[in-house]
Amino acid sequence: MGSKSKAGLLQGTLDMLILKALSLGALHGYGIGQRIAQISGEELRVEEGSLYPGLYRLEQRGWIDSEWDVSDNNQRAKFYKLTRAGRKQLILEEQNWERLAGATMKALRAS
Amino acid sequence: MQWIKATRQFLRAWRHPDETAREVETELRFHVEMRARANIEEGMTPDEARLAAQQSFGDFDQIKISCCEIKRGFPFDLKALRMGVFIAVACLAGGFAVVAVNLPHDNLFGVLWQLAAIAVLMCTFLVGRRNIRRRHD
Repeated sequence: MGSKSKAGLLQGTLDMLILKALSLGALHGYGIGQRIAQISGEELRVEEGSLYPGLYRLEQRGWIDSEWDVSDNNQRAKFYKLTRAGRKQLILEEQNWERLAGATMKALRAS
Repeated sequence: MQWIKATRQFLRAWRHPDETAREVETELRFHVEMRARANIEEGMTPDEARLAAQQSFGDFDQIKISCCEIKRGFPFDLKALRMGVFIAVACLAGGFAVVAVNLPHDNLFGVLWQLAAIAVLMCTFLVGRRNIRRRHD
């Protein structure tokens, strides 16, 4: 994975990726970063530090919820899960993203 | 009832800033430790692994400060709140005007009430118009 070039995250996509990662189940912050890498086929790497302010913002907006629990290695960790509002937001973000990607592709293919 | 939780967390972040900072730090340290473990599994020595984990995480203190600031941030959309307050004030002003108009105005007190109602309605109108203009600019 180390030698592969990693695509930088476009601004605004981090929220969507976090929501997507959490739509597959509750995770702690480290796990979210791992899951994003995994579901993107190791192409996307979230900057580890930027993940947490993003998580806190999403929690504040009510799109994700958190609670302290014990991780697999018996350490206290904060686990995040998607709320109903977050699920709705993810659908919206996916639709916006598809529209934007489609429009960009159309523009690039124009001759 | 997500807004209740958000309000409670917001108040807690203001009332117990040290506790909030400790909580954020515990969470961030957990991340760095998990990364260091993964690095060890990939063949690094414990010292190398810890150093690499700290470097890949970024500026720990700055990230911690950012997280604490977000926690202390107001959890609601201020524009929506402002609009709600304005609508409430406009309704109150309207009610006040109706009461004032229906008061007997054959004495000084009644006339003063009516003048006050006109002033309140004018202020509400002007503030509303200024807000709408500001939004369009």
